Amino acid sequence: MKGTDTYLGRWFRDALGIFNLELRNILHDGGVMIIFIVAGFLYPILYNFVYKNGILEDTPIAVVDHADCSDSRRMIREMDATREIGIAAHCNSMEEARTLFQQRKVNGIIYFPADFGDRLAHRETATFSIYADMSSFLYYKNLLMGSEFVMLHEVNQIKIDRYTFDGLTDAQADQAVNTVAYEDINPYNRAFSYSIFLISAILMLIVQQVMFYGMSMSVGTMREENRSFASLPDTLEGHGVGRVVLGRGAVYWLIFMIIGIYVTCIVPAMFHFPQRGSYGDILVLLSIFVTVCVFFCMSWSTLVTRRESAFLLFLFMSPICVFLTGFSWPTSAFPTVWKWFSWLFPSTFGCQAFINLNTAGADLEIVAPLLRALCIQGVVYYFLACVSVYVENYVLKRKGALQLQ
Amino acid sequence: MRFVDKIRKVIRREVRIWEHRPIFLLGTVFVMAFCTVFYLSFLQDGVPSDVPIAVVDLDQSATSRNFCRQLDATQLGRVIPYEDFSRARMDLQGGRVTSVCVIPKGFNRDIQGQRQPQMSFYINGLYFLGGSLAWKDILTMVNLTSGAVQREVLRMKGVPESQMGGLLRPVDVDVHQIGNATMNYGAYLANMMLPGMLQMVIVIVMIYSLGIELKYGTGRHLLRSVDGDIYAALSGKLALYTALFTMIGWTLVFILYKWMHFPLAGSIGQMLLAMFLLVIASESVAVLIIGCVPVCRFALSIGALYSVLGLSLTGFTLPVEAMPGALRSLTWIYPLRFYYQFYVQAGIFGSGFGAWYPYVISLLAFCFLPFTVMKRLAHAYEYLDYERN
Repeated sequence: MKGTDTYLGRWFRDALGIFNLELRNILHDGGVMIIFIVAGFLYPILYNFVYKNGILEDTPIAVVDHADCSDSRRMIREMDATREIGIAAHCNSMEEARTLFQQRKVNGIIYFPADFGDRLAHRETATFSIYADMSSFLYYKNLLMGSEFVMLHEVNQIKIDRYTFDGLTDAQADQAVNTVAYEDINPYNRAFSYSIFLISAILMLIVQQVMFYGMSMSVGTMREENRSFASLPDTLEGHGVGRVVLGRGAVYWLIFMIIGIYVTCIVPAMFHFPQRGSYGDILVLLSIFVTVCVFFCMSWSTLVTRRESAFLLFLFMSPICVFLTGFSWPTSAFPTVWKWFSWLFPSTFGCQAFINLNTAGADLEIVAPLLRALCIQGVVYYFLACVSVYVENYVLKRKGALQLQ
Repeated sequence: MRFVDKIRKVIRREVRIWEHRPIFLLGTVFVMAFCTVFYLSFLQDGVPSDVPIAVVDLDQSATSRNFCRQLDATQLGRVIPYEDFSRARMDLQGGRVTSVCVIPKGFNRDIQGQRQPQMSFYINGLYFLGGSLAWKDILTMVNLTSGAVQREVLRMKGVPESQMGGLLRPVDVDVHQIGNATMNYGAYLANMMLPGMLQMVIVIVMIYSLGIELKYGTGRHLLRSVDGDIYAALSGKLALYTALFTMIGWTLVFILYKWMHFPLAGSIGQMLLAMFLLVIASESVAVLIIGCVPVCRFALSIGALYSVLGLSLTGFTLPVEAMPGALRSLTWIYPLRFYYQFYVQAGIFGSGFGAWYPYVISLLAFCFLPFTVMKRLAHAYEYLDYERN
């Protein structure tokens, strides 16, 4: 029993020593502190600020109304009244509208042909055209949604008018037209706001990336100064990989739990962002996510040999990781290779779990598969981190032995 | 020594550095090759297909089963049947399905009796593309179902087939997507993400290349080798990097518009010009950053912060007019913003010189930035009086 106590006691003493050493290193390294503080605290605010409005309203559209009938005029008024479309110009010809389009004074054109009114009067299908600027999909979405809402409304109205003209009562006509009624509900992002969907995905990623760049910088600095991030206490005679990994990891874990709580709980509250999940659940997710991130960063930062190389070699991964979370291009449509590739990053599961917990108001039971995946990642990366420390020590020792010879 | 000889000397020196430090080629050629492969293969389908749609069929009638089969047969959707709503709702919240469509009990009976059954569908708008596509797909299918029933009713009433179209669909819309007729999401994103990544790589690598001279104290050696002429030193470095980045950029243009055949209304020559201007403008920004903050690590951190935010501030996803007023002017500090505007004119509208020349001037204006910090950089190289790390 006494032996176990001593072993445990020694384990904790060693781990605490490594913890103190690493903490001192980080606190004395201005570069790392700047990344942690500026990027960790400023980035979430900057992103929230850029996407603060989130919704594009009243996209300026030009109208060319060759039909010039009461129906087309009514439809134009209705389109102007939608949230999506704002009629910015009435043009006499398509040429005039095209000029405005190319000058980017309008982002779309609605064109009513001369026979629009006649075809309606003859009970044929009357067609109008829309021309959308595809330089941003939001312009297209606005023009399409605005005109389709009006069109669906008009279609029903015209049909009811015709049926009543044919001798049906109002109620009969309504039943004949709306055979199947429907309600569409978009509970988590009612207005399809760009900010709600993007910010939910990006917050957790900031935690992972900031930790990675910070830790890589710290490892690179040690390598440049001919020290190693992995040196084991001499007294251990080559054992004790676990306490190096856990002792060092605890420092980052503590720092990033603070940054993480700020990013996932305080920042959303500051920007009146939907917070539908319970804080307890988010803390559980955060603590698992940060733990996995620590081992992930430890494993990969082993490859960094110089202080700045992480920026040169890995900065481009940040936007790629955003896509790999599956928040925009659906996970079900990922090519197989990239699906496997996405499993390398804790952010893939962490971001999805955060979107579901915080913004969709899910509970831990619903995100359990994602948490399980995170835990498996954690175990794998813990072993990889241990292996990297072990290998680093082995290499250092051999180098030392060669130098002595 | 003539100016040209000095430049040649600096280039030879730089090539030697590349030979000893593979990180320069890794950080440029390898990174851009990886990004190109990623963005082009990840979004290769253009539009996602078979997004999972949960259907809770409480009616289990011939009509409701037919509805499910039809929805499943669309290219966009793949139906996943559920027994009860709460299970489907949990999967919606968990992001495993994009939407839930509930067919009420008595759906078939109510249709036959003209009692307007109400169908409900729930969308997860947090997964933008999947959610909005599923929404569109279900809405189309509901309208088609409604139309099919109306068609039967009209047929029974003896309306001739020739009049049916006008009665069922009095108004229709003809949609033209200018600049991306097939609504290819891959083309839309890769067109700007890849130049965006190039801007990022240029800013970071250029800062690093100028910064390590400070970090390892070799700046003085660089200056001595060209008789203290900072203009020659910088021109030599920039000449080599401009050649490398322009080659990468032009390869990108050829891949996007010749190999992948992404839509381009203007000529490829215009895009080559824009890419070259993007390269030199981004390099100028990098020189400005390292000149203002002649400490390698600080300059790199600033460069990283600057270039990552640049992808959002270009305005090709969320348009600039939807951003808060204070940020709109901040978008001017990014060459990518002007490249994007050039692309819109030349690539989407196919406009001529008269429409895109302001963006050429804006991109050229960036090239004056290095002159403002030349003296400061020369001083830092000579005296090395800043913190090295």
